[in-house]
Amino acid sequence: MQTTQPTTIKHEITLFAEPVTHIGNFSITNALITSWGTVLIIVLLVAVLSRSIKQIPGKLQNAFEIILEGAMSLADQVTGSRKITEKVFPLAFSIFAFVLINNWLGILPFGAFGLVEHGADGASFVPFLRSGTADVNTTIALALCAVIGSNIFGIVSIGSWKMLNKYVNLKALGEIFKKIRKEPMILLTAPIMFFVGVLELIGEFAKVASLSFRLFGNVFAGEVLLSAMAAILAYALPVPFLFLEVFVGLIQALIFSILTLVYFTIAAQDHSEHEEHETEHAHA
Amino acid sequence: MQSIISTFHLDIKILIAQLINFAVVIWVLYRFAIKPLNKLMSERSQTIEKGLTDAKSNAETLSKTKEEYEKALREAQKEASDIFTKAKKEAEVKKNEMLEDAKKEVAKTLAQGKTALEEEKQKMLDDAKKELAGLVTSATEKVLTKGISEKIDSSIIEASVAHFK
Repeated sequence: MQTTQPTTIKHEITLFAEPVTHIGNFSITNALITSWGTVLIIVLLVAVLSRSIKQIPGKLQNAFEIILEGAMSLADQVTGSRKITEKVFPLAFSIFAFVLINNWLGILPFGAFGLVEHGADGASFVPFLRSGTADVNTTIALALCAVIGSNIFGIVSIGSWKMLNKYVNLKALGEIFKKIRKEPMILLTAPIMFFVGVLELIGEFAKVASLSFRLFGNVFAGEVLLSAMAAILAYALPVPFLFLEVFVGLIQALIFSILTLVYFTIAAQDHSEHEEHETEHAHA
Repeated sequence: MQSIISTFHLDIKILIAQLINFAVVIWVLYRFAIKPLNKLMSERSQTIEKGLTDAKSNAETLSKTKEEYEKALREAQKEASDIFTKAKKEAEVKKNEMLEDAKKEVAKTLAQGKTALEEEKQKMLDDAKKELAGLVTSATEKVLTKGISEKIDSSIIEASVAHFK
């Protein structure tokens, strides 16, 4: 670990994933290597599973079925309908698996293996493995999948016109001309509605930012925490924090996938219908 | 924006690489794990449901069959006992009839035997008489030829015949 390394080499945990090697002008970072490892692990697990899928399940299949069943019922609680769950579940579950294994791979002590790179500001240590989710590129990619996916899902579920009106509320503006004689207040409410739509549009970008930076921040902080503890005392002290990181990894994967489910569910809901219902309710 | 990109080393190529990674994960998980397992699980629950309803109907059929079997058994037993009593009665009648017949037959045979015996006896007696008479006659003749009177002759004959009677 850090204390055993020569003092001339810097051991700082960078905010970004360090490139380990280059192919052409494509730099392969340690986070990317870990992600490939994650993909490999998932592919191997699924390969072993899919070979032995039977009507009467074995141990591995049983475990998978329990996980799948539990995840499905949890997703049902979030989405509130089996139909949405069935459509979104593969994406949400893949996010969960990918993030979880990436998080946990980051905790493995292989971070001690790496190479020493001599840069402009002296030699620095570059570990071969870094949690894939401790790289903003990964988390942004996942967040984009979730948010863009949810918008596509919204278009498929309620139609592109309604989806457009969620963000650029042309319908509200149009209603000014339709209803101005009956209720003049619409001159005030319609621009507000339009502005709310713009806020929603900004909110979509905020979703990407919050999803990606929440995950990145947690995992990166975990790595920093672990190395800080190891720097204080390499023996025994990081152990409770390792357990904490295992837990954090699970929680973050869960949060990411559940938020994905939430975004998909919201996208599938028709806002205008909801509002019309409310106004009817108010009139009655 | 530029500072964010440089701070976090945002790289569109790595981002795309990670997107590809994630796409592989989705495809593999969906195609080879979630889809077949979901199909299998729903199939299995259908099979179990079918099995349960089948078992229920089977149990119903079984109890029904058992009832029918018991009913048939009871009927058969009743019928058998009826037949048995009837047969017993018939056998009794038959037995009596046969006994009666046998008695009659025996009596008849006895009577027939008696008469036959009587006849035989009579016949034998007659034959014996005849033969005796012949014998006596020839004997007498032989004696007479030696000079015995007719009177003696006939007396002897009568005496001997009487003796035989």
